[in-house]
Amino acid sequence: MLKRGLAIITLLIIGYWLAQGLAGVPFGQDKMLVGQYYLNHVKEQTGAVNAVTAVVVNYRGFDTLGEVTVLFIASTGVGALLWERKKRRTAKTEGSIVLTTGTRLLVPFVILFGAYIFIHGHLTPGGGFPGGATIATAFLLMYMAFTVYEIPHKAFEKTEGLVGMSYVIVGLIGLAIGGYFLFDWIWQTWGWGHDNIGRLFSGGFIPIIYTIIGLKVGTELSGIIDNMLKEEVSE
Amino acid sequence: MSVLAIIGEVLVLIGTFFYFLSALGLIRMPDVYNRMQTSTKSATLGSLGVIVGTGLWAVGKGYSPAWIVQTVAVAGFLLLTNPISAHALIRAAYKRGIPLWHGSVVDKYAEHLASKAQVEEASETSEEVSE
Repeated sequence: MLKRGLAIITLLIIGYWLAQGLAGVPFGQDKMLVGQYYLNHVKEQTGAVNAVTAVVVNYRGFDTLGEVTVLFIASTGVGALLWERKKRRTAKTEGSIVLTTGTRLLVPFVILFGAYIFIHGHLTPGGGFPGGATIATAFLLMYMAFTVYEIPHKAFEKTEGLVGMSYVIVGLIGLAIGGYFLFDWIWQTWGWGHDNIGRLFSGGFIPIIYTIIGLKVGTELSGIIDNMLKEEVSE
Repeated sequence: MSVLAIIGEVLVLIGTFFYFLSALGLIRMPDVYNRMQTSTKSATLGSLGVIVGTGLWAVGKGYSPAWIVQTVAVAGFLLLTNPISAHALIRAAYKRGIPLWHGSVVDKYAEHLASKAQVEEASETSEEVSE
């Protein structure tokens, strides 16, 4: 009781303190400094209509590379923590026929929609991370509905490594052509898609990077699911 | 105002009414199974009305026809997935042994499970005998 009371009082003090700090921030007023620059120049500098993905991939691509690295470390960490010599799915009950049939029907659509999200990252809301998570959801559905399902490990782990590498390679090509890492060579040097803004084949290297990120996130999250749903086999 | 916009508004109204009924059913019904019954059915119908209605409304107001395509896609997805999720939830609830409302009279599934268990027991004993 005393502990809970103290905790509530402390939280109230912290909340009041934060509210005091935020009370000075003017909402709904034009306070953009860097943001205005992004909004004014995003089209001719990156070719993307979606300013958020342009910022995330193009202006601040290094952060995204860091995020992908964080995800990769998380996946590797889960794999290392749950490592056993022999592992197997230990699902006890078969899903009902409605669930399995529905899953079989839905999984292709979910994967298609995930691919749609990451391919159209420069045009519509979304991008590589939501698209990849959607694809991982499809594999989670398969794991939930079937007792024996396993992701195709060989293909998945190879894809994960290859796409992670190709992100860095795209950045290194930029370094070779334009002078700095993650330079958008397709847009700036080649000028590819300049008269095509707002359509699918525009946006410089944003669709390419997002396809890479989408595949990477999808395979990685599926791998985490796979690791977590397995138990050690006692012999 | 065009006919499409009027149809869309009416559909959205009907959908929100069904949303209200579904929330009401969630409070009003006595046990898990009845609640799932009322809430899933009317929430699915309500979302279909609201989503498709929004698409028609937008097209009627002069927005691009992509609205109707996207809303119909979302509505179809919901129509396919909502019953499956409801089914899985109900089945999980039954398997966890959540009791039916005390006023329910028939539980055929329990009878079916009991008869299946009896058959299995019988076959096991006959195997033992044959061994």
